[in-house]
Amino acid sequence: MTKPKVASDWLAGCSGCHMSLLDMDERLLDIIDLVDLRATPITDLKHPDKDGVDVGILEGGINNSANLAVAKMMRERCKILVALGDCAVFGGVPAMRNFFDLDETVRYVYTQTMSMDKEAIVPKDPELAVPQRVQALSEVIKVDVFVPGCPPSPDAIYHVLSELAQGRLPNLTGNLLDWH
Amino acid sequence: MVHLTIDGKHIEVPEGTTVLRAAQQAGIHIPTLCDHPHLTPYGGCRLCLVDVKGARTLQPSCTLPATEGLEVTTVNEQISDARKFVLSMIFSERNHFCPYCQVSGGDCELQNAAYEQGMTHWMIQPNWNTYKVDASNPYFSYEANRCILCRRCVRTCQELVGNFTLGVEQRGAASILVADLGVPLGESTCVSCGMCVQNCPTGAMMDRRAAYRGLSADAETIKTICTGCSVGCGIEVTIRDNNIIAINGDYDSPVNQGVICKIGRWQSLEAMDSGVAVKTPMIRKNGELVSASWEEALAFASKAIDTTRQSLAALASSSLSVETLYAFKKLFVDGLAIQSVSASEMGKYTNAQKSLAVTNGVFEGHLSALNNADCVVTIGEDLIHQHEVVGFMIKRNLPKGTALICVDTDGSAYGNLPNSVIKINPGTEQQLVKGLIAGMVKLGVKSCACDGCKNPDQVVQDAANATGVESTLILDAAYILGNAQSPVIVYGSTVTSDVDASTLTTIKCLSDMISAEMISVKGNANSVASAQFGLDQPVDMHTAKAAVIVLGDKQPCDELLNAVSKVNTKIVFSAYQNALVETADVVFPVNNWAEEEGHFINMDGTVQKRSQILAANGQGKASAQAIHDLAAQLGFSIDDHWMEALQSTPASVTIA
Ligand code: SF4
Ligand code: SF4
Ligand code: SF4
Ligand code: SF4
Ligand code: FES
Repeated sequence: MTKPKVASDWLAGCSGCHMSLLDMDERLLDIIDLVDLRATPITDLKHPDKDGVDVGILEGGINNSANLAVAKMMRERCKILVALGDCAVFGGVPAMRNFFDLDETVRYVYTQTMSMDKEAIVPKDPELAVPQRVQALSEVIKVDVFVPGCPPSPDAIYHVLSELAQGRLPNLTGNLLDWH
Repeated sequence: MVHLTIDGKHIEVPEGTTVLRAAQQAGIHIPTLCDHPHLTPYGGCRLCLVDVKGARTLQPSCTLPATEGLEVTTVNEQISDARKFVLSMIFSERNHFCPYCQVSGGDCELQNAAYEQGMTHWMIQPNWNTYKVDASNPYFSYEANRCILCRRCVRTCQELVGNFTLGVEQRGAASILVADLGVPLGESTCVSCGMCVQNCPTGAMMDRRAAYRGLSADAETIKTICTGCSVGCGIEVTIRDNNIIAINGDYDSPVNQGVICKIGRWQSLEAMDSGVAVKTPMIRKNGELVSASWEEALAFASKAIDTTRQSLAALASSSLSVETLYAFKKLFVDGLAIQSVSASEMGKYTNAQKSLAVTNGVFEGHLSALNNADCVVTIGEDLIHQHEVVGFMIKRNLPKGTALICVDTDGSAYGNLPNSVIKINPGTEQQLVKGLIAGMVKLGVKSCACDGCKNPDQVVQDAANATGVESTLILDAAYILGNAQSPVIVYGSTVTSDVDASTLTTIKCLSDMISAEMISVKGNANSVASAQFGLDQPVDMHTAKAAVIVLGDKQPCDELLNAVSKVNTKIVFSAYQNALVETADVVFPVNNWAEEEGHFINMDGTVQKRSQILAANGQGKASAQAIHDLAAQLGFSIDDHWMEALQSTPASVTIA
């Protein structure tokens, strides 16, 4: 049996879910035995294979046009899409900014926060991603597996990956189901 | 009895039982949110849906009465899908951010319900409308973003507390919880009992002190009693790492049946949180209080007591345990034969009852009588601000038609209650009661053969003149009282402080006529025990040369500070630094209420044990132990026959 290909990426999150993935410690070796780990944001290969992967994992919600593009690309290139963590599943911490006006939020963040000096301006460059209200992945793309948690525990991630690697859709119950 | 089957199990329950309760009694779990075992079923959340054979739609089990032959199924795919949908709707109604909610991770009934249904995500996103947080109350805040509109808080405030502060405004998705007519909680009629916080299933109502200190799973919960006043409410204290996280009312306690006041829930922790503990014994040397060993301090104190015996006064807080008060009495009254010995209230709440008990024996009843009272008369006590739980027990029955007649010189405390407030001239309680008796005779609702009742018109008129109350109001009250089936008379310090018991004798007469239960509030947690030990005499501290004062964890009042300001030598037992400790000559560190166990006799005579729930720090000892040590130093040994001593004097209540 060929090993299933797995790719991951992170969007509007804090990278904590990927840290929790690494926190599996030596069990990571079991996973590597079972799957062919392709592009991830913490390895050299950055984009999922053009000819597709079996499992695509996304951490974080969608908070700008770049996130949207990455999410759509992952969806197109993977068979099973996993939303990893509360931000991907619900919107999470970044989504709290939805309570405020978007332009006002951007202006505040770039000009008013403690670390900004008097000349601070809101950057304007066509190259930059365009901010949007924060959305959970499922509002934009079809999600096959939801793994809530802030971050999900290494046990939960291990369970999900090992189930997927063995061709099963994971079922999170008991201690593994925890939104935090 | 009706018979039904739930999940194939045959169950027999009394008529009027809901399907939910029937299932619970049979050990069958049905998930719920708006239901609470101590509140009237509301049927608002729809999580408890079950399948009833023959019914077209799923039925909420919490409001569905069990009927003969009913066949109920609680688990199938349709039910499970319906529950998931219900939960999704609830989540989408507000904005839930579990990772930073203080109840997330075990203490949120909503989150737990979602886990139980295996929900890994929401089918519908939150609505993103912003709801304000009401943080205007010093003890708890209301976070509307997490509110599921289950109205458990509303029902709690009405049905258990009788405060009627909370309500829901608007309809449908716009529904919003409000205090009074929409004012911030801190400016509302809320009395900060926190019962709504205790009964809220989500993180919407937040105990500000307890939040983020730990979840139930990380903590231990111990049942004990509040010794904030003579009600003696049962409480459940949650502790973690020798710290109190939260205090809740204990629904299993027969005394308060779960309801507590702000003192029991929050204020009893204030000294612990912000007080400075006395850490070691201290002795005054060259004008300065300096640390000393227990041996040195005991030697110093016993020498001072020995040399001033003739003009020594001793006072103990009536909030101390029976064991402490007994040791105190054994040492100072029986051992040293000191004349001026008393407890802090000096009989204010017990004199009259003790006098009357000599001839009448036990004549007062239990607090639980209030639950079935159809008429309550309160005389000379503000139950809105003192002994609050007694007030709750009265007010919550008003919507059921219980008549409340408040006899008070001020009356303002009861101002917003829809009942008769009889505002009398100070000191005329007895005349008013005589007027009520005569009024019943005049109206022919009761008869009386005593001399005083021969001319009832005159007595009512005299009462009206003396009390400043219109005679028609007296007659109205007499009519209600005379027709009551299960009346209760609650009275307080203006009646009880009188050693001659003259007003109380008249109240007793009224009570006998209408077969009322009599209940008196007793001030501090151990006022009854203090009185039974004879620690209820007036003591003039001004003339004493030396004084022993056992404060425990209480603060000295201004009156006491004044009274002892000229006393040469002061020996103080205190848990905390305070103005009295500062001027003391010897200070013994004692434990606070959470650090020492002991017994308490509440206002209706119930003997209860307070458990030790925290380990004591520093060199503090239990108050009783500290007095035992002082006694030993003075050559006395103290037995522990306090129960016999309590029962050796006639009391107005059954001490058991
Ligand atoms: S109330 Fe419950 S569901 Fe809502 S945020 Fe808090 S833990 Fe989550
Ligand atoms: S505050 Fe709590 S108890 Fe009150 S309606 Fe909201 S969720 Fe229910
Ligand atoms: S704290 Fe007590 S009085 Fe205030 S709203 Fe809640 S239940 Fe009512
Ligand atoms: S009524 Fe008295 S005993 Fe009950 S909680 Fe309040 S202070 Fe404590
Ligand atoms: S528990 Fe029955 S409707 Fe809420």
